Amino acid sequence: MSSGGNTTTVYGGDEISAIILDPGSYNTRIGYAGDDFPKVTTSSFYGQVGNGKRIFGEDINVPRENCEIKPILKDSIITDWDAAIDQYKYYFEDTLKVDYKDQPVLITEPIWTELPYRQKLIETFYETFDFAGLYLAKAPTCISFQQGRPNCLVVDLGHDTVSVTPVIDGICLIKNSMRTNYGGRFLNDEIKDFVKSRDPKIAVEPTYKIKTKTPTVYPDPAEYTVKKTIPTTTESFNKFQQQRIWHEFKETALEVPERKLNSTNPQQALSIKEFYSQDSQKRLFEFPTGQSITLGLERFQFAESIFDPKIYKFSDENIAKAYPPNNGEIKISSHYNEYRPLKRIRKPESNQSTPAPGEGDDSSEKIRGLSHLITHTLSTIDIDLRASVAHNIIVTGGVSLIPQLIERLYNELSNSNPGLKIRLHAVGNSSERVNQAWIGGSVLASLGTFHQMWVTKHEYNEAGADRILNQRFR
Amino acid sequence: MSANDILDVLNISRDEPPKKKQRNESTPQTQQPQLTGMARELYNLIGPNTPPLQLSSNNYTKTSIKDKINFKPSPWTKMEFNPKKRAREEDGLKLYHWTKGSKEFLESAEEVNKPYFFEKFNVNLSIPELVDEETYDKFMEEIQEHERKEKERKLLELKERERERQEKEKEKEKERQKAEAKKEEARKKQEAKEKEDQKKKDDKDKPEVVDIKKEDDKPEEKEKSDEKTEEDKADDQTEAREKSASKEQEAKQDEPIEDEELEWTYEETNYLFELCKAFELKWPIIYDRYNYNNVRTCEDLKEHFYRLCIKILQSKRDSSQSSLIESLKAYSKPREIERKQYLENLLKRTPAEIAEEESLVIEARRFELAAKKMLIERSNLLTLLDSPQSTQNSSQYQSSQGLANLYNNLMIFDKHQKKKQAQQLQLQQQKASEPIPPPIPMAASSSFKKDKVFQTHLQQYLSSLLKQNVHTNPAIKQEASAIQQMLSKRLTQKEEEAYGLHYHGNEKLTPGVVLRSTQKLPSLNQKQSTLKSVNQVLQELDIPTGGGTAWKPVMPTRKTMSRYDELIRTVVALLEVKKAKDKLESEINLIKSQRGML
Repeated sequence: MSSGGNTTTVYGGDEISAIILDPGSYNTRIGYAGDDFPKVTTSSFYGQVGNGKRIFGEDINVPRENCEIKPILKDSIITDWDAAIDQYKYYFEDTLKVDYKDQPVLITEPIWTELPYRQKLIETFYETFDFAGLYLAKAPTCISFQQGRPNCLVVDLGHDTVSVTPVIDGICLIKNSMRTNYGGRFLNDEIKDFVKSRDPKIAVEPTYKIKTKTPTVYPDPAEYTVKKTIPTTTESFNKFQQQRIWHEFKETALEVPERKLNSTNPQQALSIKEFYSQDSQKRLFEFPTGQSITLGLERFQFAESIFDPKIYKFSDENIAKAYPPNNGEIKISSHYNEYRPLKRIRKPESNQSTPAPGEGDDSSEKIRGLSHLITHTLSTIDIDLRASVAHNIIVTGGVSLIPQLIERLYNELSNSNPGLKIRLHAVGNSSERVNQAWIGGSVLASLGTFHQMWVTKHEYNEAGADRILNQRFR
Repeated sequence: MSANDILDVLNISRDEPPKKKQRNESTPQTQQPQLTGMARELYNLIGPNTPPLQLSSNNYTKTSIKDKINFKPSPWTKMEFNPKKRAREEDGLKLYHWTKGSKEFLESAEEVNKPYFFEKFNVNLSIPELVDEETYDKFMEEIQEHERKEKERKLLELKERERERQEKEKEKEKERQKAEAKKEEARKKQEAKEKEDQKKKDDKDKPEVVDIKKEDDKPEEKEKSDEKTEEDKADDQTEAREKSASKEQEAKQDEPIEDEELEWTYEETNYLFELCKAFELKWPIIYDRYNYNNVRTCEDLKEHFYRLCIKILQSKRDSSQSSLIESLKAYSKPREIERKQYLENLLKRTPAEIAEEESLVIEARRFELAAKKMLIERSNLLTLLDSPQSTQNSSQYQSSQGLANLYNNLMIFDKHQKKKQAQQLQLQQQKASEPIPPPIPMAASSSFKKDKVFQTHLQQYLSSLLKQNVHTNPAIKQEASAIQQMLSKRLTQKEEEAYGLHYHGNEKLTPGVVLRSTQKLPSLNQKQSTLKSVNQVLQELDIPTGGGTAWKPVMPTRKTMSRYDELIRTVVALLEVKKAKDKLESEINLIKSQRGML
């Protein structure tokens, strides 16, 4: 609100109501800078009806004929550009009624974006929308801003990906970052696989089909009647609706066990398993058909797979193939490939004090669970920064809301890093934790000092995409 | 509760309508100050006249209402601004924010030309500009030359040091021999010897001076002062090297290879400088974003940047930067790597090791505390024993010689204590952070006990008691008066006794005649509690006492009186020794039990 005249404001804010766009792999968030929460939180999927028209938001859940549900993003990276532009346009113009000339836009991006993708992203935005300015901010940077911690380790447990990124002075250390796909979607697939393999007869019908239902408990069969007047929907629509059931399953039933389920000591492992199979630990999950399924050890096993992805063995080969062993290392081509003189590549030095990730004894590790991922990241960070980073671990993302996850993570990290003082920061408010990157962007874009960072189309045209990306959006 | 309530409870009806009264009374009410709390409660009990709620008219004065009606909101205008107004050419960025002030005011030229408020926070680090390629090559040559020479010199120095050390050892050996020989000689020659030592030292210094001169001849351009500090640094390094000889050898083998393998081209250096500028010397980030074909460590980048900066700054010949150059020179890659290695090892400790370390620290602290406590207790005890004893015959200090003796003793004691204090001060400076136990009282230190001159008062007292067996007091005997001398010449000891002759010497005598039976024994100047226990002992020994505190021998002859006095003193001494022994024993038991617990 204030500027030149009003200098007493402590937080140094200067609201220009910039637009913040935070595309995630499950939800996309759009809103005004300075707000607490995004104005629009919408699904990152869209429905395409027969005539090519795209449907966004909650409307995609309406059963229609010939309506294909497709994802816009994968791993927080836009894959369907046309749909993305369409979606943003829809929300900017129809919902928020933005006058592009009036304000700039801040877009969050994951750290694993490649140069061509970034080039395409800013190019598309400059071409399609006529915003006053544009800025690309890395999501971990935004999260560090949301928490007000310039030096931290951002652990983002998202739908498609789990990523660990050290942030130093608000800038992400890309070489030290790690990423796996053992996130929310992985859990969904586990649950789907589990239900299918338990008994193929369990009816998994989406809610919109159900007319009446009577509560039953598996192994009793489901008693329900289906609505008669529903249009014949496409397979992708049905799959999407099923995904929603798995999603709900994940959100309601899962709980992280206090200790490792697969203990090396067989006797101990048995006793732990026994403990978690007790009746007091059992929960019911009710499908839309009214049929409930009793979950004992399973619900702990699913959650455990965040820490130990090997614990659940897929019975469906096709799903298993989708999750190859992943040790979390990111292969990113440089953002700075201006200077690449032809020269023979030397062998790396032996006495590196700051080894590149993946070196050393850990390279044999094929699959890294969450705590291994964090521990490995910590071990690669410069020794001088390690203590401060370990003391500021920010856990965010929807999957982190699974009960007991933070406690378990703290215990495992403290055990594996006895020399470091571990402190985890997880926002108590669940909607804040899901939208943390957006909120961070909102904080960032309402700072008075930040306004010098916006890049106009004029500057973009003069300097070119490469220069802008390397020097401005770092 | 108001008066109305009370009236209601008591079923008292009011005859007059309260409305009228209220109106009448309310006008003066307003003038009364508003009452709060207890006062208001009490006020309410007075009668039905006071309204339970008072209207304060202060809030509704005419002017205040007028103010509110005439209130005009201060104008805010949505203004266009350019956050990069000052920086460089117009890039067309136009943002809008709400600003306080009318449109006309804000659009005035003055306001428009004001730079953006937050623009001043955009500050840059000033980093030396990279020179052109030619000078860069020259610098690199110089650096390489310098480094090569440095290495050679280090090797040389290492050898030199080795030799010097051997020489020193030899010299020391010689000195020791000489010193031993000289000790046997008279001490007068000590000064002469010191001079010799000085000479030797001077001799030792000479080769080093020569060294420095040689060094100065080698590099062409450098100032001497710089060179010297460099050398100091090198010295430190070599010292560090000596400590970890094996490691260093490896490093030394690696270093030359490294340097040859990873040559810094001008382009790469330029790239590094740009990164440094972009990320404002945040090295972890520079290292993270450093993406050149050569794989380099963070330390490599730092070293290269720093050494080039030194060259660039030196070439500018800016005297104000000399301190900066010094601090830049302080960077040493091998040491940095070593430091990080140490830190790494520190973090790699297993939980068991950490727990052990912690428990050790706690235990050490507990020991320290116990020791401190014990020392305090002991010092308390010793001061108790050490305190001037009132029972002691003060008469020994009443003669001038006695006083002189005492004075001398005290002086020596004082000197000794001062020495001790100086030592302690040194100790304190050495380990300032550690908790200092209370100073050990003189009597407690073993060296003190060994020293014959310094006996504790207790010991002195006991010895004096022994001496008294022969003569009442040596001091008095020495101070024999002329009459005494004369008498002792004439009479034998037996005769003296027979006549009941006694020399009082310098004893202070009360004037007039005193009956010995009423005389108070000097040994009876004790605490009541000690006297009680003395009484017990005497009863145990079946020694008749006069009863009460005024013990008297049945036959108070001078001899019996003095013996009796002596006896009581020894008993008191005995009791004190026993008490001390008991205390020490309990202390020992305490410590034993503590150890047992640990």
